[in-house]
Amino acid sequence: MGDVPRIRIADLHKNFGPLEVLRGVSFDVHRGNVVSVIGASGSGKSTLLRCVNYLEQPNSGEVYIEGEPLGSRIDARGQRRPRSLAEINAMRRELGVVFQQFNLWPHMTVLGNVIEAPIRVRKLPRKEAIAYGEECLRRVKLIDKRSEYPARLSGGQQQRAAIARALAMRPKAMLFDEATSSLDPELTEEVLGVMRELAADGTTMIVVTHEMSFAHEVSDRVIFLHHGMIEEEGPPAEIFGKPKSDRLRQFLSKYRK
Amino acid sequence: MSEALKQSLDVSLFWEYRGVLLEGLTFNFFVFLCSAVVALSVGLGAALLRMNRLWPIRWIGTLHVEVFRNAPDYIMLVWVHFVLPLLIGIVIRRRVEFHPFLSAVLALGLVYSGYFAETFRAGIQAIPQGNLDAGRAFGMSERLILWRIALPQVVRRMLPEALNLFVSMFKATTIVSLIAVPDLMYNVSMVIQQEMRPLPLYTGAALTYFLIILMLSSGVRVFSERWRRKILA
Repeated sequence: MGDVPRIRIADLHKNFGPLEVLRGVSFDVHRGNVVSVIGASGSGKSTLLRCVNYLEQPNSGEVYIEGEPLGSRIDARGQRRPRSLAEINAMRRELGVVFQQFNLWPHMTVLGNVIEAPIRVRKLPRKEAIAYGEECLRRVKLIDKRSEYPARLSGGQQQRAAIARALAMRPKAMLFDEATSSLDPELTEEVLGVMRELAADGTTMIVVTHEMSFAHEVSDRVIFLHHGMIEEEGPPAEIFGKPKSDRLRQFLSKYRK
Repeated sequence: MSEALKQSLDVSLFWEYRGVLLEGLTFNFFVFLCSAVVALSVGLGAALLRMNRLWPIRWIGTLHVEVFRNAPDYIMLVWVHFVLPLLIGIVIRRRVEFHPFLSAVLALGLVYSGYFAETFRAGIQAIPQGNLDAGRAFGMSERLILWRIALPQVVRRMLPEALNLFVSMFKATTIVSLIAVPDLMYNVSMVIQQEMRPLPLYTGAALTYFLIILMLSSGVRVFSERWRRKILA
């Protein structure tokens, strides 16, 4: 089982009408690895992440979680059939998502947000969900805000709460969609700090980000997306140290100013 | 002061008949509560129809809203009480009669379901898409998302508007006296026929409604604002 990747993304295509946003993206994420996806806005990074857990239905291609296809299954006759929404729901709870806009549920306290899905979706007994939820809040250093409503928290605190909410589902991998892009610079660091710790603890992560130094420091592998295709990929030392393509060099030069 | 004015301000007559009038008032509350249940549930249904992906279903929702929102309460009441049973009778070939209470609840419930549908819809559409995406991303079913994520926020957002609708609805319960539901106004008319003194009785009824609605709505507003504020940044 050692060589089945945690997540395999195979030839994903996505169109919005005539606009081709993803034009055949494939890569693997192995257990405990951090893969960062970088690229200009409009390169398809966020769409890629939304396709990975089927918030956007890809037009073709497939996502595998530990070898199991997310959007389809092989029936008794060996035919590939699309999964029902209920089955997709069951599959995507294995992926914890952290959104750019946090998307905390405003009518629930921080702890309420964290235990909601474990109780309702994983059917965890309330006590257990609270115990584990509090552990997750401790990991993101937000345990003292457990009874606050999201509106009373800073952006950085909200995003850390959102990370705890995703962790509480004990996902097989975490997906970060520009998790710091809507934060003030001084709040960015507290969220990146938490993400660094998760990476150090061996969490499998796909990180779509504009934070180049973070991608450089934390990733096992970096993917540079351009116009919906992988233009270049490799270990961070190569991507940031010896970029091969002109496009990547151009892109990186904008961040060095 | 003229004799007529003095009479109209002397509500002791109203007090004398408090027993039968209070009985009528409980009928108002009863009609109000039952039609509120109809209006809320039918209204939510119509709002969901109006937001369906398929246009024929959306169209049914829109038709519902337009028909009931644009029908005066009084006409709807008379129509439901006198015409609807006739129509049903023709279809099932039997004489049908609606109990006045049933007609009242149906008519008011339907008229206000049109308004509530629009309030629900505005409330649902005001929820950021990302909030629902978050639910989906954690594997919640659409039903769970509606009950656990969308509606609790919708209720808080639509509360001020809904309170206004409830006030109008409570006031509208007075017209049920027209089809002989024994509510406060109906009983007031009965007493007037006996006593021949409409001024103090009508004044008393007006004051009663005014005080009840003022107290209830300001009470609910104070209570709900604090609860609502928590979620608003």
